[in-house]
Amino acid sequence: MRTKRACHSERSEESRSDSFRHGQSEIPRAVYPEQTAKILLPRLRDQNDRRRVQDDSEGARNARLYPDNGQTSESERFIPHIETEIAGIRFQNPVWTASGTFGYGKEFSPLIDLNELGAIVVKGISPEPMEGNPSPRIYESESGMLNAIGLQNVGAKRFLTEKLPYLRTLKARCIVNVFAYSTEDYIRCIETLNEGEGISAYELNISCPNTRCGGIVYGSDPKLTEEVVAACKQAARYPLLVKLSPNVTDITVFARAAESAGADALSLVNTLVGMAIDIETRTPRLWNVTGGLSGPSIKPVALRMVYQAAQAVKIPIVGLGGISTTEDALEFLIAGAKAVQVGTVNFYDPGASVRIVHGLCDYCQRKRLHLSDLIGSLKLRE
Amino acid sequence: MSEMFDEVVVVTGNRPLSGSHFLLSVESPRQAQATRPGQFAMLRILGRSDVLLRRPMSIYDLKTWNSEGKNVRKAGTPRTLQFLYKVVGHGTRLMSQLKPGDQVGLLAPLGHGFFEEEYLPRAHEANEILHVAGGIGIAALLLPAKRLAEAGFHQRLFMGGRSKADLVGVEDFRPLVRGMLLATEDGSAGYRGFVTRPLEEYLARHSKKKYLLMACGPWAMLRASVELAKKYGHPCLVSMENRMGCGLGVCLGCCIRVQGSGHEAYQRVCTEGPVFWADKVVWDMGGRA
Repeated sequence: MRTKRACHSERSEESRSDSFRHGQSEIPRAVYPEQTAKILLPRLRDQNDRRRVQDDSEGARNARLYPDNGQTSESERFIPHIETEIAGIRFQNPVWTASGTFGYGKEFSPLIDLNELGAIVVKGISPEPMEGNPSPRIYESESGMLNAIGLQNVGAKRFLTEKLPYLRTLKARCIVNVFAYSTEDYIRCIETLNEGEGISAYELNISCPNTRCGGIVYGSDPKLTEEVVAACKQAARYPLLVKLSPNVTDITVFARAAESAGADALSLVNTLVGMAIDIETRTPRLWNVTGGLSGPSIKPVALRMVYQAAQAVKIPIVGLGGISTTEDALEFLIAGAKAVQVGTVNFYDPGASVRIVHGLCDYCQRKRLHLSDLIGSLKLRE
Repeated sequence: MSEMFDEVVVVTGNRPLSGSHFLLSVESPRQAQATRPGQFAMLRILGRSDVLLRRPMSIYDLKTWNSEGKNVRKAGTPRTLQFLYKVVGHGTRLMSQLKPGDQVGLLAPLGHGFFEEEYLPRAHEANEILHVAGGIGIAALLLPAKRLAEAGFHQRLFMGGRSKADLVGVEDFRPLVRGMLLATEDGSAGYRGFVTRPLEEYLARHSKKKYLLMACGPWAMLRASVELAKKYGHPCLVSMENRMGCGLGVCLGCCIRVQGSGHEAYQRVCTEGPVFWADKVVWDMGGRA
């Protein structure tokens, strides 16, 4: 029911016209109820963002062309289904937030309605708490950012007691990103997490570029990928997604390796390894020297890999890498992803994920398509 | 921590000051009213796809006037936030091009400021509060100084910069403090050298008195000030800065090394800070934690 409500045309048109009025008038924002203002304001910003102005005006044009003033009956109105199913789990929509960009969810609760999201993938959890790397940990690059956080996290036990109880109350599914240094530790972490209620799935992180051992070591050798995935699959009480690294020559090799080892689905891609140098001091911009590049600048690479992997395996693909607008998300879905994760944009535009959910509904309605019609619908030239 | 708001706000002024410093004013009543001294904001340049991340900015001052420059009916209710900043990179260069009427994204107010409950007893114990500012670090100190002046505290400002052009904001401080001791590296104003020189002289001369130091500035200056505070036995609060990704506490990009171990070893400047007790911060991590 929630999904239908979220896609209801009246609702989105109403809020759109509201935000228009908002932008033109001098009425102080505070006159709107708290909750409404919080949802509307990011939308208002949308209209000021040159990248998105065209789409918004298109939507507005459609709203004018097909006014929905009560003359259309309920049966004639197209209500798109945007639920998606991955590894036997139903998600109310295909928009998730990516690990490491959304904390443990609660941090965003003052700004957006977390119940509107398909799922929240929490920050990588290791069997024991990790302290992470020294500063500087991040650096902004052109249309993106480099990070070398080093997986600072509270550890599996404290995650269960301190973070999971809140996540359990949400309509968004909770997916736990799992990280460790050895196969035994991966299993130990999963066994601890198995005791938690309210986890929908695990996302196995075998692609973190910022820790000395573990992580990417597993993600850059197909044999090790197979070994760790098989071991974790056996230990896992919940379905297992495997998050792959883009720092490989042929992504399909790793996609197939994970699939044959029993992965229920794949998330791709993690960050691309990059670096930056301060020419004044001739020192690396990051303490760790290299870091993971994320943000809009990696989107074309990520999209290509999602497309290739979707051709190579039968298990569902969750696409991520630089998704910051509805259009970006649609590209990944058309390329074959059954869901998408919104990452770096959460840092600078916390309302983006929820706006993408709304944008997806608007697009599906305009095209009179259900989400399932859209996934993998890329039309290649003959 | 007070409630934060993510808003699109209108620039009402962007005045160039000495050197490459600017004073940006934006109208945002809700955020202005929620602000506590020492908190900060994340400012986003809109409509750019190359500069994505927001920039952390200390909330320098709050004004009661609105966009027409008129004071509003309800006197004393702040409507405008001001940011004092220096052009140092691409992001601040774009900020310096903002004109009245332009819009920016603003996430504010954020972080723990200078007025958390645990800090106040130390302020009451002190004979005088010493503000130690390094250049643009003064941006974090004006609001606390204003609030303390209203409450009748005695205060003094120590400020240092490379040259006279870096000593911005001292005029705003003048009515709030009993005295100002300035220092420039090139000697163009005040003492020649670092700000810690007049600070040490002052602390040595009045070694019987109790002070509370509030400091904000570059790492080396903070470190030297903290050493002085320790040497003379005064408590010291520092407002830290670091590169920040989100300001929300999720990216963990702004973490600094603090006393403690395990995942407690690093704390977020944006969430646990930006104001810390100086002895909590680990200062000797190769120049920078």
